[in-house]
Amino acid sequence: MSAPSTTPLASPPAQSQPAAAAVDAVKAYGTGEAAVRALDGVTVAFERGRFTAIMGPSGSGKSTLLHCLAGLDTLTSGEVRLGDRSLSGLKDKQLTLLRRDRMGFVFQAFNLLPTLTAAENIRLPLDLAGQKVDQAWFDTVVAAVGLQARLEHTPAQLSGGQQQRVAAARALVTRPEIVFADEPTGALDSRSGADLLAFLRRAVDEFGQTIVMVTHDPVAASHADRVVFLADGRIRDELHAPTTDAVLDTMKRLGN
Amino acid sequence: MRKVILKGLLARKLRLALTAVSISLGVAFVSGTFVLGDTMTATFDQLYEGLTEGTDVTVRGESAFTDTTTLGNTKPFDTGVLDEVAAVDGVAAAEGSVTGYALILGKDGEPVQPGGAPTLGASYPDVEELSGGMSIRSGEAPAGPGEVVLDAATAEKTGYAPGDPVTVLFADGPREFTVSGVLGFGDADNLAGATMAAFDLRTAQQLLGKEGVYDSIAVRADSGISPEELRDRVTAALPAGLEAVTSDEVVAESSEAVADALGFFTTALLGFAAISLLVGALIIWNTFSILVAQRTRELALLRAVGASRRQVRTSVVVEALVIGLVAAGVGLGLGVGVAAGLRAALGAVGLEVPTTTLQVQPRTIVAALLVGVVVTVLAALLPARQATKVAPIAALRSIDAPARPMGRVRLVLGGVLTALGAAALAWALIEEGQLQVAAVGMLLALAGVLALAPAIAVAVTTVLGGLLARVGGTSAQLARRNALRNPRRTASTATALMIGLALVSTVTVVASSMKASVAEVIADSSKADFILKAASATAPGIPAQLAEELRAVDGVDTVTQMRFGPAQVDGATTFVAAVDPATVDAAANLDVSSGAVTDLDDRSVLVSDDVAGAQGWAVGDTVEIVYAQTGAQQFTVAGTFGNTDLIGSDYLTTLATHTANGGAPLDIAVLLVAAEGTDLDTLRAGLETVTAAYPNAQLDDAASFTESQAATIDQLLAIVTMLLALAVIIALLGIVNTLALSVFERTRELGLLRAVGTTRRQVRAVVRWEAVIVAVLGALLGAVLGLAFGAALTRGLAEEGLAVVEIPGGRLVVYVLAAALAGVLAAIGPARRAAKVDVLQAVAAA
Repeated sequence: MSAPSTTPLASPPAQSQPAAAAVDAVKAYGTGEAAVRALDGVTVAFERGRFTAIMGPSGSGKSTLLHCLAGLDTLTSGEVRLGDRSLSGLKDKQLTLLRRDRMGFVFQAFNLLPTLTAAENIRLPLDLAGQKVDQAWFDTVVAAVGLQARLEHTPAQLSGGQQQRVAAARALVTRPEIVFADEPTGALDSRSGADLLAFLRRAVDEFGQTIVMVTHDPVAASHADRVVFLADGRIRDELHAPTTDAVLDTMKRLGN
Repeated sequence: MRKVILKGLLARKLRLALTAVSISLGVAFVSGTFVLGDTMTATFDQLYEGLTEGTDVTVRGESAFTDTTTLGNTKPFDTGVLDEVAAVDGVAAAEGSVTGYALILGKDGEPVQPGGAPTLGASYPDVEELSGGMSIRSGEAPAGPGEVVLDAATAEKTGYAPGDPVTVLFADGPREFTVSGVLGFGDADNLAGATMAAFDLRTAQQLLGKEGVYDSIAVRADSGISPEELRDRVTAALPAGLEAVTSDEVVAESSEAVADALGFFTTALLGFAAISLLVGALIIWNTFSILVAQRTRELALLRAVGASRRQVRTSVVVEALVIGLVAAGVGLGLGVGVAAGLRAALGAVGLEVPTTTLQVQPRTIVAALLVGVVVTVLAALLPARQATKVAPIAALRSIDAPARPMGRVRLVLGGVLTALGAAALAWALIEEGQLQVAAVGMLLALAGVLALAPAIAVAVTTVLGGLLARVGGTSAQLARRNALRNPRRTASTATALMIGLALVSTVTVVASSMKASVAEVIADSSKADFILKAASATAPGIPAQLAEELRAVDGVDTVTQMRFGPAQVDGATTFVAAVDPATVDAAANLDVSSGAVTDLDDRSVLVSDDVAGAQGWAVGDTVEIVYAQTGAQQFTVAGTFGNTDLIGSDYLTTLATHTANGGAPLDIAVLLVAAEGTDLDTLRAGLETVTAAYPNAQLDDAASFTESQAATIDQLLAIVTMLLALAVIIALLGIVNTLALSVFERTRELGLLRAVGTTRRQVRAVVRWEAVIVAVLGALLGAVLGLAFGAALTRGLAEEGLAVVEIPGGRLVVYVLAAALAGVLAAIGPARRAAKVDVLQAVAAA
């Protein structure tokens, strides 16, 4: 990769530089009168080592923002940066390698390849890159999600909560600069959801991981350090050290 | 329900089109075979009818038996008979004619040798009403000893025009003529592919060795007299040994003989068509299974909103019916093209078929549509049954149900069949001549392997995929998992290829064994320094005069001739060989086990040990041989011999016996032994000065003879492989189809893979590796089966001269590698599609 030869661990970048940021991000669908602006001039930064939740009603543009930050979708105008690198103008292959090497993902469902075991699913990004697994780190991550006994199971043999925890372990195993989670608890019962959120919290607190999570659940958002509220493609508000009630209040206010 | 079915069909049109192609190709083969067969039969019928036009009754020598081997070969009779026939009351006109062997040489000195069809020398008819369709198109009828007319096809091919000099080769050597005219046969340019050189009657009789005799007399009745009436009157006037037949009888007889000959040919072609259809059916079955599996939700939804099991089943079957009908219709159209193509292919290898309009008979249309529809619907029945098992609850299940494991019954049945098949094949390998055992073993083993295929697929894919993963890394690893995900699907895709490749491999093993056997036969059985054979495998032989001329060459010790003629022993037609007892021993190792070759005379016969043993004949016993022209003849057994490999006949008579019973004076082979101390290269040069005048004879030493035989076998192998290639192509289409369906089914997975950092190239590689795994799995199974089948068949045919089993290992490896490459090609489309999966959409679909 053409990134600087220094790794983030060997030489931590200046504290002022965020892990990811969007500057004046616009995403429009269609043209002319019928044009819909899913993102309408969003500027936001995500600090390193923090857990940020993005909230907003359906159609607010929160998923679009996440997809654009992750290089899964492209902006109509504006810029998205990963660390010191702009994603604008990158080709599919470069974006793919960025995702593989510097990002982690947890989707709402269908996170795992049914043909691979849990362990293989976790290792997948490393295998795709042809990299060796750091066994100590692998064991640490697996222990953190409590999956030691399930490593040789296939997804079909795992519960929904366990599947999501495997996905979370996969997202962390490459020591990515940032983990994107798209409604990770959306398909889980509250107990499993709480387990997963607790794990994400630990990843930030204990491993210094940066996490950006899209959710519509105030309880889930309350696990974050910071909540960014989106509506109609714009950032409307922001909460720090949120509680469930505070999130609910803000949402009600924005809804009206 | 009809609306649902129709909409479903349209929504899946690409997948269905791919499916339909496999059926279309199979049907095209079937209808093409019918069209070609019908066209050929119609051509010959027209020809024979045209030729006998104007002639009511034909007088000819009686035949003791009639089949394709004797057609047009009757005993000549004295010209005096013509006067007696002409004198019969009610005869308007009568004319005698002769036919025989005459090979026309082109301007370049090369013989005009139509594959399969005879090279005729004939008398040109004087009486116009009796000439049938035969007429002079340009120039004039031949007159006198120096003039010849040639058939229009030969004239066109060689560029001969009236006035040109031409060389014609007869049984007693080459002669020079002037072309006086060009002959047509009604609308046809030649006589069912045969070449013809026609002369005036007297010249023809001299040239063809038929002075003072006729082969037949054409008779025309006075008006008002029926052919049957005339036949009866003429018969009454004929001496013993001659018969009179009406033209209708001649036409019927000829058509029947042609139909017999073509019957074998069309049966063989239909066999190949059946193989293609079987492979096509496997693919359709597989495709419908996948489609039903993919539509589990849709079908469950239908069931949930109140569709009965029966309606769901009907929807699948009707879908198959529509596809089958469309595919069969397309296949029928293609079939006409296939017929034209086959005709061209046959022409290219020397089996020219005269041109007529292609015959598309109602039977062909019905057969094509029926075959297409029945095969498709049958193949869809099982998946249709599966479809009805879909419980409405399945609609709610989000994760794909794991593939059903193989049933125990199937496993046990497959194991037993395979074991029995292997045992039968082993038996056929150990004991020579067990052709039936080999055939049964092949069928059992094939059925067994088909039943066991999913289990075999798991085992082979695990090992093979593991090996490939070392080369292909994660992509190959993922591909291997995908192949293992649904072993039934992988297995049925692979077995379609396996069948085609097993047959190709079988034929390859038999062909290379044939080549090795020829080399061994020549080494073991021939003591000749040089061998002369007709340059074309289908030519009737080489003029006897050549052997005479060779005897005079310096350095030649022995020249011995061999001939072949049809005859019946015990009611079955066989070929009786004729040799010169005084010289044959010097050139050929007959392995005489009782009596002696030199005891063979014009009233005796040598019989092979096998036949003598089977019939209980010993030296001194009497054997009855029935010749078509001369009837039953008694011969004394002069001896028995063990080595039939070189001559390929169980009966040896003298050359004189052959000629006396109507055999043509054409040598099938001439063996030559050099005098001691002669330099073979010098001798060869001397021999070539003689053979130069006989361009249809090929001079070989043992090595080059083996090579030229091998070349002939290779040519045959190429034709059969080409015919089997269709089945292989259909199987490859099946791989494309299965992969395309799998890619479609795994859209979400592919999206996920791309999201977590799989490059497009890696995604393509996953699909490609899966194709390679399936293709190599099929090819490996096919090659292994083919090897066993080929070896068993070769041993089974040991008595037909296949003395050695030769395994063409390199060739089989090439087949497997080629299959891997074909897998890569088959993956191109599906891989491209997989790489194009929209990540967002795939991820959002969750």
